[in-house]
Amino acid sequence: MNLSTFARAATLGLGLASLAAAAAQAGTYTLTVDQVTIDTGEFKKTGIGYNGASPGPVLRFQEGEDVVINVTNNLSESTSIHWHGLILPYQQDGVPKISYDGIAPGETFTYRFPIVQSGTYWFHSHSGFQEPDGAYGAIVIEPKGREPFKYDREYVVQLTDAHPHSGNRIMRNLKMSPDYYNRKQRTFGDFLTDVDKMGLDQALADRKAWGEMRMMPTDIEDLQGYTPLINGKGPSQNWTGLFEPGERVRLRFINSSAMTYFDIRIPGLKMTVVQADGNNVLPVTVDEFRIAVAETYDVIVRPEEDKAYTVFAESMGRTAFARGTLAPREGMEAEIPELRPDPLLTMADMGMAHEGHGGMNHGAMPDMDQSQMSAGSHTMPDGTTMGGMNHGAMPGMDHSQMGSGTHTMADGSTMAGMDHSAHGGMAMAAADPFYAPGSGLAPSAANGGKFLSYADLKAQKPLYEHREATREIELRLTGNMERYSWSINGIKYKDAEPIRLQYGERVRFKFVNETMMTHPMHLHGMWSIIDNGSGKRNPVKHVVSVSPGTTVYMETEVDAPGQWAFHCHLSYHADSGMFRKVIVEGGPKQAKAGLPQSTGG
Amino acid sequence: MKVDYVAKAARLAAATTLSVIALSAFTLTALPIPAQAAGGHGTGHGNAAHGAPGNAADVTRTIEIKMFDNYYEPEELSIKEGETVRFIVTNAGEFLHEFSIATAAMHKAHAPEMMMMMEHGVLEPDRVNWAAAEQMQASMGHGMHKEGNSVLVEPGKTGEIIWTFPQHAELEFACNIPGHYDAGMTGPIRLSH
Repeated sequence: MNLSTFARAATLGLGLASLAAAAAQAGTYTLTVDQVTIDTGEFKKTGIGYNGASPGPVLRFQEGEDVVINVTNNLSESTSIHWHGLILPYQQDGVPKISYDGIAPGETFTYRFPIVQSGTYWFHSHSGFQEPDGAYGAIVIEPKGREPFKYDREYVVQLTDAHPHSGNRIMRNLKMSPDYYNRKQRTFGDFLTDVDKMGLDQALADRKAWGEMRMMPTDIEDLQGYTPLINGKGPSQNWTGLFEPGERVRLRFINSSAMTYFDIRIPGLKMTVVQADGNNVLPVTVDEFRIAVAETYDVIVRPEEDKAYTVFAESMGRTAFARGTLAPREGMEAEIPELRPDPLLTMADMGMAHEGHGGMNHGAMPDMDQSQMSAGSHTMPDGTTMGGMNHGAMPGMDHSQMGSGTHTMADGSTMAGMDHSAHGGMAMAAADPFYAPGSGLAPSAANGGKFLSYADLKAQKPLYEHREATREIELRLTGNMERYSWSINGIKYKDAEPIRLQYGERVRFKFVNETMMTHPMHLHGMWSIIDNGSGKRNPVKHVVSVSPGTTVYMETEVDAPGQWAFHCHLSYHADSGMFRKVIVEGGPKQAKAGLPQSTGG
Repeated sequence: MKVDYVAKAARLAAATTLSVIALSAFTLTALPIPAQAAGGHGTGHGNAAHGAPGNAADVTRTIEIKMFDNYYEPEELSIKEGETVRFIVTNAGEFLHEFSIATAAMHKAHAPEMMMMMEHGVLEPDRVNWAAAEQMQASMGHGMHKEGNSVLVEPGKTGEIIWTFPQHAELEFACNIPGHYDAGMTGPIRLSH
């Protein structure tokens, strides 16, 4: 983005950092950590913010810049700031007890690190529940070179899930009663309906299976009752971004929620995804996408009409929505869609679908030999074959009628989880391979169009040479919902040994989600390369979302010495134990300049 | 021919219980058939609003276009009304790109065809898969070939088109590889007296 566009964006009052002007010059930034009032339009609460507000400022850096950030803690408790997704010396990473000691009340800590990347990121406290209480902000890094896309103006669109209760109180309540915040409990009436539909035996068996999991089909959001915000504004406060018809607008979506995934769409506009987690991807145009907690997606939209468009972000469990507006003038608004019916988890999300389907285990799809798939012809129960059919783009095809279709095969297995788009000649309305086949969570676009999948993400410029991993580490994502206890390989953080990696190796992590919740896994300090079958163009991310009943692989080039955090980014899951320390052994010594400095204040 | 495809698609749909392809809007960049028969996209030759393929003898100017990922240099063009220009188009990027001269509406109409070719494996990120193109030609009666108003150039290669511009038109040059136009790989062509 050129300077004049930036100036225009700033004058339009977009909530850009007041610090932005300083960015290009000195590279010195100041943040204060303050108690603030958060007003969602539905409730007010006391929370934590930066420079007197939540969300904090948008920090604008330049790739290649050496930044100095002075952080002063005005709270009466210790704090910290983690620069989410940034590649930096581990002492600057801002995780208490792993990177450093944290920032004591009244103290000023000075972060110093080089900016070695570009894109959209964010920052947040890594202490207690300060982040759910409002301690977050955005980071925008301008690249050295020209970007592989073009736009006339840009906005940060930072989502969060502000809750009337403090994080500490929420955690206490969840520990006491894990369904404390689940307002969607199944009732005796639901049971009678099920008996009607599936018969008494089946309905009882179904209830028994759920009971043994200590879960319910409605366990999609274990925290409800929040108000989703866009850039600090609730649905009634209607954050608005201005445009002139015909302009390309870059929206930098950041999900800074404690617990909430969002499905985002802008009725009337296509969105072209150009970045995921700060890294450029081959542009892919979609109608809707899901953003996991802590992810970022940059999209370009081109509103051509002189009218308002609603930015609509439904929570994955459909308990709430964030809403903002893109409009040619202030004060305009467009229709707000209804929340779609809330999804129910299925046995597939329980992991049942893994059993007995032989070669049809689509949960492990990224691993599948797709060349065999495309050659094979799939015989349907009625004897027709699907092999040589060309279901390509098919202008005029009614996807809405196919979208949710599950194709039952002769052996009774289903094909719902297949990603047909990856199979060349077999492309039908694509189901997402990153969900268990038959999963209740698998998304589809509200308008019947294209919903982004991880399978669509392909690195524009791979950061690393593609090579065979040197070893594999299996991480089972585990938990006991009844005690609200979350863990990895059945062991909570406080009882676990660190994961030891050797500098220079390429590790393949195998995530096996044995729980019924979706977990956004976040490794600090090093990139997470999701194996989505794109080989050298596998997307490079910092968050890998793992759906229930699925296995997902990611690879990491171990190129950052020191010790790092590795955890589920759902705040209450991380705190209760789905967390590991990673130690990278060997490698070059840290430069002295990178060591943390602290001055009293 | 158009009717044929719809009927065939309908039969396929019925036979497989799957909704299938409405092919009616499907024409490729470069079909040697008149615009009227190609679904009214106006990609045909002659009187089209966006100009017509030119003769080498009429060329008054040569313009070099460099294609990068995913943008052009230069980013806009100024051309005289009625001028015949030779474009030497070099792909300096890592990915397949197109240089196409048309109105915005024509580019938009062309996009689903390009998407279809991508989904059929004809357009890979960094090359044209000619085998897949032949297969597509065989199975659907459509394939790839050169069109007067556009040139598809693989990384490291150079293509050329000669184009005679019309008197009045709002034209853009653009890359219709799926995602590229939407990401901003397009520029205006300003026609002057």
